[in-house]
Amino acid sequence: MSEIDALEARLAALTDEDLSRGLDLFRAKLGGAEAAYLQTCVRCGLCADACHYHRTDHELASIPAHKLAQVAAVFRAHFTAAGRLAPGLTGARRFDRDMARAWVEAVFGRCSLCGRCSLNCTTGIHISAVLKAARGALTEMGLIPPDLLQVVTTSLETGNNMGISRDDWLETVQWIEEEMQQDVGDPAARIPVDKQGARVLFTVNPREPKFFPLCLQASATVFHAAGEDWTVASEGWDLTNYGLFSASPAHGGAIAANLMASMDRLGCGTLVIGECGHGFAAARWEAAEWLQKRPGFRIVSFLELMEEYFQQGRLHVDPAKITERATLHDPCNTVRHGGIIEPQRAILRRCLADFVEMTPNRAENFCCGGGGGQLSMSRYRQKRLQSGGVKAEQIRRTGARLVVAPCHNCIDQLMELNREYKLGVVIKTVAEVVADALVRTPAQPLEEHHGTIAR
Amino acid sequence: MDALRIGVVVCGLGAGGALALQAARARAYGRRPLYAPAAGSAARGVLYAFGPGMSPTAKESTRTHPWAYALGVAYHLGVFAAFGCLLLLLFDAAPDPAGIPARAFGVLLFAGVLGGLGLLVRRYTTAHLRGLSVPDDAVANLLTTGFVALAAARLRSPAAEPALLATAMLLLCYVPLGKIRHCVFFLVSRRHLGRHFGRRGTFPLRH
Repeated sequence: MSEIDALEARLAALTDEDLSRGLDLFRAKLGGAEAAYLQTCVRCGLCADACHYHRTDHELASIPAHKLAQVAAVFRAHFTAAGRLAPGLTGARRFDRDMARAWVEAVFGRCSLCGRCSLNCTTGIHISAVLKAARGALTEMGLIPPDLLQVVTTSLETGNNMGISRDDWLETVQWIEEEMQQDVGDPAARIPVDKQGARVLFTVNPREPKFFPLCLQASATVFHAAGEDWTVASEGWDLTNYGLFSASPAHGGAIAANLMASMDRLGCGTLVIGECGHGFAAARWEAAEWLQKRPGFRIVSFLELMEEYFQQGRLHVDPAKITERATLHDPCNTVRHGGIIEPQRAILRRCLADFVEMTPNRAENFCCGGGGGQLSMSRYRQKRLQSGGVKAEQIRRTGARLVVAPCHNCIDQLMELNREYKLGVVIKTVAEVVADALVRTPAQPLEEHHGTIAR
Repeated sequence: MDALRIGVVVCGLGAGGALALQAARARAYGRRPLYAPAAGSAARGVLYAFGPGMSPTAKESTRTHPWAYALGVAYHLGVFAAFGCLLLLLFDAAPDPAGIPARAFGVLLFAGVLGGLGLLVRRYTTAHLRGLSVPDDAVANLLTTGFVALAAARLRSPAAEPALLATAMLLLCYVPLGKIRHCVFFLVSRRHLGRHFGRRGTFPLRH
């Protein structure tokens, strides 16, 4: 049975008991904030253009207020007196199979949880927080796209979301270490593994060892140049956490516990989250809430750490080494949800001769379309690529040939957009740009492995 | 105090009580303790949400829809002015129609009526807004705009007073049922939004 059919089959098989349980699950996801958000919308419609889905498909169902309305309708019908008294007047609707299907479509199919609508809501509704609560309830009802759930399951079963074995991981680290030694001309350069008491534990998106090891090499090169006391872990090294996208605290907490266990085991002082938007938001903001425990160590983005190195004079770069026009993509989970807004800009201004901002940028930037777990939900692929048209146009307008994206999910989406919209750009992480611009080390420029420059 | 005025007071107390109850019920859903250390200031986020964050330039949605924003502001000014007039009437202190206060009220009320009608027209002439709308949108707008228009009429003629008071009663009875309850939930939601993005260091927004 295909992934699509499996979800449809589950929808079709919903019983009254399932729906009733779903309502209980949904109610349990709501706090005072969400309960207020659900009663605030005035349907002014000004959020419509804030959404990259609506900007590209112009469908009513893609308007954030409409997505919110699907959830609010159920809330009204079941949890408010007005909704029970006058459902027709207020648009209240009982939670039945059709509404469950509408929820799936709204919160998985037409939303990347980017939060741009929240910032643009005239009444101050954190729309994506409400949609996330609905996602959580659907997940616990089993109404989650199976391929998204599979990523979570793989993480839970193997410790990383790509099922990379411990041996493969360590072999890749060793290979990259050798490559780095050649690049920096220092046979003593190391990628330490399980170094007890290291100042910094660096965590990685499995996409790096699996497909793009040069990203890991770039990060290692930066650590080497900065003279950092760092390590990676042999276990619990994966920074990704698709519990953020399934919106299940049980998933998120269990996955986040891997990183926390690595920190405890190695006794490091700072947990550094590599360039991954959702991974940062999950570890920095959500893990403590899922685990209901304040971390006993600092959790920072690699972007913050690199900027600290610059400020401390530990990294030296020559912007003349990268002369092509470059722009920066702001991942939603790093910037809007994560609050890491300026460090990456400060770094790139140092490293690039011709850096231009997209319009809009920072917290107002558009989602690339790959957020919210969209990359793993094959049934929505066309919609995802279509919604990425906004980002493609943003990039095109800058005239940049190099797009810097401090997020691996974004990079995957941007690579697809590069092909789909024939952008002719190269896409790199911030660490790759820094490594390319370093002057202390004799490193060769990293290959343009994320795309091709159309010259 | 005549029966209509007593009716308005009773409906007003009822609306206030119902809104307070709704807000308390929402609050009863609970506030989870937050464990992740803050990166920014929740208080600054709230200040931003109620201050610069409400300016027309702060959000793309209002920057790119200045007319809708202006209509909304005019509408709300008119509604506040109409409630001001209503309060004065309840205390037998209707302003002198020839005086400056009445003229100032008149300007605000006129703007409010234009704003309300403008938003109503916009709602039903814009395809996506029509699609979003439920009957509550029309009822809430017509009741409120009618109330503002009758407040303006009362400034000119005491003969409009019974109609104004009757409409005020209807409006106050309707407030907790439909979207007008955003008069309370707007404040609650904006505060939560400000706290959330303030803690994370996203608010105040930098452009």
